[in-house]
Amino acid sequence: MTTTRLTRYDRSMLRLMNDRRGAAWYATAARRRLTVAAHVTLTVALGGLMTHLFLAEGEPLWTIAAMGALLLPWMVATGVINIATRGLLELRERVLDERQSAERSRVLALAHRATTLLLAAAVLGLLAAGMAAGHAPKAYAGPVLIAVLVVHWLMPLWVAGLRAQDEPTEDDLVQA
Amino acid sequence: MSEQVHNRLAMVRAERKVSRQSLAEAVGVHYQTIGYIERGQYNPSLDLALKISKFFGLPVEALFSLEPFRPLTDEVYGRNQP
Repeated sequence: MTTTRLTRYDRSMLRLMNDRRGAAWYATAARRRLTVAAHVTLTVALGGLMTHLFLAEGEPLWTIAAMGALLLPWMVATGVINIATRGLLELRERVLDERQSAERSRVLALAHRATTLLLAAAVLGLLAAGMAAGHAPKAYAGPVLIAVLVVHWLMPLWVAGLRAQDEPTEDDLVQA
Repeated sequence: MSEQVHNRLAMVRAERKVSRQSLAEAVGVHYQTIGYIERGQYNPSLDLALKISKFFGLPVEALFSLEPFRPLTDEVYGRNQP
């Protein structure tokens, strides 16, 4: 972690990502898994609503209202995961120390592997749908591509959230 | 491919009454990284190991070793049996 070249933005983000006020939200592995599961569910729900709005030509008013209602918990869950990982993916590289940089690389590599498999599954799914109904790949390629893009964007966050570890126990003997 | 590096960091830190936070600030890492090193979940780079050793004014081999450390009382009082 370089401390000499940090900008004001770096320092404020570092403070934000190390704010312990919401520590109870991500204190245990079970809570972090629950948060990631909630984030995945909310992402799927938002994606479904967006598809409904744009592709199925659904009624816009209630769809937009529902999306607005889901967006706030989605943002809260995003923030909780980011803070649980101490800003592993949000902070600039120069703010991270050597362990955090290595962990970020590991998270990105794992997420890349997962999204590669997902992309392969999407292609195979489209090809299979094309064999069953000739127009299917053309009809579904757009939504599938968008869904894969969203997952590709968010997968590192989910992986980082699942890999985050419990806080080291406070050493009562040693006080600063 | 990573070999476990044993360390006496927690013990030395407790003995010197240094918190994780102040050690972390002194050597330029996140305080969690100190916890990870103490728990054996992260092997520090040579650079970081040397910085930590310098902070405590000890040779690096007093803090880090490829072999498990003997209990300090054994080293001081010379007990040979494990």
